Amino acid sequence: MAPSLSPWTVARWLLAAALVLFVAGPMVRLLLEASPASLGRALADPELAASLWLTALTATVATVVGVVLGVPLAYLLARTTFPGRRLVAGLVELPVVIPHPVAGIALLLFLGRHSAVGGALASVGLEFVNHVPGIVAGMLFVSAPIVVSASREAFRGVDPKLERVARTLGDSGWQAFRRITLPLAARSVVAGAVLAWARSVSEFGSIVILTYNPKVASILIYDRFTLFGLPAAVPAAALLLLLALGVFVTVQVLTPEPAVRR
Amino acid sequence: MIRLERVGVRLGRFAVQEVSLEVPTGGYGLVIGPTGAGKTTLLEAVAGHVPLTSGRVILRDTDVTSAPPEARRVGFVYQHYHLFPHYTVRENVGYGLRRLSPHDRDARVQEVARLLGIEALLDRPVLALSGGEQQRSALARALAPRPSILLLDEPFAAVDPATRRGLRHELRELHEREGITTLQVTHDFEDAMRLGDIVAVLADGKVAQVGRPEEVFQRPNSRFVAEFIGTGNVLRGVIEAAGPIPAPLHGDGTLAEAEDRPRFPARFRSGGLTLEVVADRVGDGFAVLRPTDLLLSVTEHPGPPRNHFRAVVRRLEHGSAIVLVHLEALGVPLVAAVMESTAGELRLAPGVTVSVAVKATAVHLI
Repeated sequence: MAPSLSPWTVARWLLAAALVLFVAGPMVRLLLEASPASLGRALADPELAASLWLTALTATVATVVGVVLGVPLAYLLARTTFPGRRLVAGLVELPVVIPHPVAGIALLLFLGRHSAVGGALASVGLEFVNHVPGIVAGMLFVSAPIVVSASREAFRGVDPKLERVARTLGDSGWQAFRRITLPLAARSVVAGAVLAWARSVSEFGSIVILTYNPKVASILIYDRFTLFGLPAAVPAAALLLLLALGVFVTVQVLTPEPAVRR
Repeated sequence: MIRLERVGVRLGRFAVQEVSLEVPTGGYGLVIGPTGAGKTTLLEAVAGHVPLTSGRVILRDTDVTSAPPEARRVGFVYQHYHLFPHYTVRENVGYGLRRLSPHDRDARVQEVARLLGIEALLDRPVLALSGGEQQRSALARALAPRPSILLLDEPFAAVDPATRRGLRHELRELHEREGITTLQVTHDFEDAMRLGDIVAVLADGKVAQVGRPEEVFQRPNSRFVAEFIGTGNVLRGVIEAAGPIPAPLHGDGTLAEAEDRPRFPARFRSGGLTLEVVADRVGDGFAVLRPTDLLLSVTEHPGPPRNHFRAVVRRLEHGSAIVLVHLEALGVPLVAAVMESTAGELRLAPGVTVSVAVKATAVHLI
């Protein structure tokens, strides 16, 4: 005879199902709304294609910069103790909790032509406001914490004694990192980078303040929605959602599912 | 040669202080101590993984205190082996040989694998190995670059007792064959007795005693050392002179060092038990009686040894050939060790009263 279900068991399944439905429902609805024909037309739309290309390119640059700068920081945070370590760790996570328009305003003040840093960079030809580097800066600001956080946890998962053994076998610090720690942490670092790329692609709030034009996909979708209404925005939105789903599947493949503890 | 000169290391709240120790070239040194005594930290300091706060590390007559680990040319085996999980056994063993040509590297890997009996394992992933196989593979990896110094961190701690006995024997043979100066940390004094030329007992980050293993076993210099190495019975009591006490002076009138002081007949009282002993001082102290020095008989026999007393058997603890007899003598608990056959002949059992004899010179006073 099957065991009877307790009220708690029924309640938790119902509550969990409600949230899953709330998250999945809008996405399914959006994909159903966009017909294959409209998706085909959207892909042939030169403005949308250029916007998607710009989004992918800037997100890739932001991710590469995030990895180049974030992985060493993550390694430092995972392996060494130094004064202000917790402060630095918290600071790097801060963009996650800042409203993104606020991040955009902060970046505008820091990188605008009238700031010391922005002025200096503009004098060597690197302009941010209403230029492509502004898009990269906005994306980097919100996605770098993901790279740092994922990499730091990955490095923490690699026993430092493995590196020490490699050092006694003749490796320099860099060689031990490259041959031992990095390969063992690589899956999680790459998964973090893929998530950071996806986060960059979806960024809107800070970019709309820093660089409205040229338009990345999220801004173009917003633009079409406000100018032409829902039918004009749906195909582009569906395309971006499909892109995000592709990233989601990639991350799922890269990171093993944690075991269920019974 | 490994020489530590007043080595100090601080790691968080934990510190190793003023540790001095020398293992001669080709020798086998052991650092023994309880968990948290600083043994692994000390070994990592020798390998260059943690910076010293004071002192010097000399390897092969060269001061390597500020040299990075890769310049120290030592082999290191951790307690849990730490084989590289993304490499096969062959790649692990050959890891430190990348300066050799592929042909020479492969030849050396085969040579070391043969030495350690792991040839059949070379193409296996390390995660598929048993504890003993991992231990041999880690040892092979450490030995492959031909280090003249080998550092071993509790190498037998993670294997079963039977494998441990075998590995201990193999390690001793390997050491004798290869002549590698070895420093091993362990919490097991049996390792020291079977392997070591010199042993340092570490307590709370400091060296409590250093010497040849049998010296430390025979003459522990503190209650901690006596109890930690399992010398046997450690009794707290009072040492009283049995006659006139010779002056603790040299011929020129200066005060003699502790080890040079004249010795005299004395009595050691602990609870209701009084033992005749040979002392070099009076006052509070500890008496160490090794279980094998307590002679048991059913009937009391006169004459030597000096100390005779009655005791009641409380419990028998059977080993493979030795029986530990837990006794109570005038309220004082004692442990004696006898052969299994002797225990049978004496019909030892809980509640039986026996006569215990012990030589005055077998009582070591601390």
